[in-house]
Amino acid sequence: MQKSVISIGPFHPLQEEPEHFMLTVEGETVVEVEVEIGYNHRGIEKLSERRNFEQSTFVIERICGICSTSHPVAYTRAVEDIIPVEVPERAQYIRTIIAEGERIHSHLLWYGLAGHFLGYNTVYMWMWRLREEILDVMEILSGNRNNYAMFKPGGVRRDINPDDIPVALKKIDAIIPTIDRLKKAILDDPVLHARLKGIGILSKEEAINYCALGPTSRASGVDRDVRKNAPYEAYDKVDWDMIVTDSCDVWGKAVVRLLEIYESIKIMKTCLQKLPPGEIDLKLKSIPPGEGIGAHEAPRGETFHYVRSDGTNRPVRHKVRAPSYMNLPTCKATVPGSSIADAAIVLAAIDPCYCCTERMAVCTPAGERIYTGKDLIALSQAKTAKIKREMGIP
Amino acid sequence: MKLPKLRELLEAIKSLSHRPYTSKFPFEPHQPPSSFRGQPKYNPDRCLGCLACEEICPAEAIAHEDRTGADIPKRVMIHYTDTCIFCGCCQDACIADHEGIKLSNDWELSFFKKAEAFETIEKDLQLCEICGSVIACKDHLKWIAERIGELSFSNPTLYQSRLKTLGVVDDSILSASRDYGRADRIKILCARCRRETSLTTAASPAGQKGEA
Repeated sequence: MQKSVISIGPFHPLQEEPEHFMLTVEGETVVEVEVEIGYNHRGIEKLSERRNFEQSTFVIERICGICSTSHPVAYTRAVEDIIPVEVPERAQYIRTIIAEGERIHSHLLWYGLAGHFLGYNTVYMWMWRLREEILDVMEILSGNRNNYAMFKPGGVRRDINPDDIPVALKKIDAIIPTIDRLKKAILDDPVLHARLKGIGILSKEEAINYCALGPTSRASGVDRDVRKNAPYEAYDKVDWDMIVTDSCDVWGKAVVRLLEIYESIKIMKTCLQKLPPGEIDLKLKSIPPGEGIGAHEAPRGETFHYVRSDGTNRPVRHKVRAPSYMNLPTCKATVPGSSIADAAIVLAAIDPCYCCTERMAVCTPAGERIYTGKDLIALSQAKTAKIKREMGIP
Repeated sequence: MKLPKLRELLEAIKSLSHRPYTSKFPFEPHQPPSSFRGQPKYNPDRCLGCLACEEICPAEAIAHEDRTGADIPKRVMIHYTDTCIFCGCCQDACIADHEGIKLSNDWELSFFKKAEAFETIEKDLQLCEICGSVIACKDHLKWIAERIGELSFSNPTLYQSRLKTLGVVDDSILSASRDYGRADRIKILCARCRRETSLTTAASPAGQKGEA
């Protein structure tokens, strides 16, 4: 059958971020997929080298528009790893609360978008309404709906007011019945079963080979979660379960995210109730020379930061590896074989975040030659020699 | 197979009688929670013009402008609303008990022209009485003098600033004797002029203010 190429993007209304997919199709079936990113590069790693350790946190918070907690947590942990030092217990709990609140709202956001892609705009409206409630809780606790500005190397910047805790707990409790109702509506729905089951299969071996992270890997039966595998902050002080399914398809990813919302609510509530008294900040004076790494389980998977210090008040090198960087290549395994109509939800199922992923852009367009300085000099000298030859000058 | 449909139908009927979830915003005012981080506002009475907030601001949303040419020299503190990220670093760094600049609950910050998106306050500036260069804001010098107590009597700039605010020193008497010599040490001076007036010796090269 004749192959044709469908180009989606880069100004793509599907996922709200500029990206470019090249789907090679045979009739209705996708046989090959090419992803091209690089439209969203902002040079954040370089920017963070211009600021001091504390100021960098605010730039890093803006790497991602949705998970404004994951990157600062990983970054501050990387900076603390240089010394190394453990933050006070109250600060650990506050970090956990903010991180889990973000996971809830990020998963709800994905659910809304997935519902929208499938033509279930009711799911979209309901989920985003619930998300507003969580964002209100975050506003009460941190002072803003997003970009919480709570983190600094050595602790947190703002304390949680004890008077706000009952209000926040009440708001969280109020959304549980609605999520229950939505859970039943989603898990029972025959149309969603028909749409999501058996498409975008990512087998366990492939998930391991592609180094898939977060819900993408946990839906394929790989029990990989930084919060359980290498507990940090308050994750080993509260009781919670890692959600793993082995259905390997988009349905599995949806179920993992839905059930993770419950676990996050559980962690958030326990931490709010058990919030220990004490200091929230170590008040670090200086960062010694050295290097440190920090990892945090973001809603999409493990975020990894590397920071090197030379003893001054600025990082000399800062490296970010976002989860979508590992998850995005799995579309090579999941998309081929599905129809064009399914490709949208299969691509969206990994919950990709391109602005997190784009750390470095190397442009080598096919069919063009790249001239180095040496090549250019050789070219110039060759032209002079040619002119000399033509003019008969020795 | 029919059960989910029934349940959703029930939900749909229920939501018919509910009032809309969204608020009628422009007609109903929105009240943010008390912990909300809104626009930082300067308090002209407490701000010392020390520039700690400008130094710490990660978004470079705070700037200052020294107007030394005016009759009364002023330092203008500028807060750019459009650049501000509402992190509250300025409040944390404020030396005036975190009261000089403070996050407010103000969130309605829309504007029509970007060039108009800033707020300013003016602080009285203290200039060197010899060379006219900027020393610091008057309130800042007074604050330092009060903080270090009697130690400030080792520094004429500090104790003169404090005495002036008490009305003990008459400005006209001070400015009458401008000889730029050792007698000028008891004046409000910048660091450079203080060094020059203090270290006046016969051996200092010609052309220096100390010998004039």
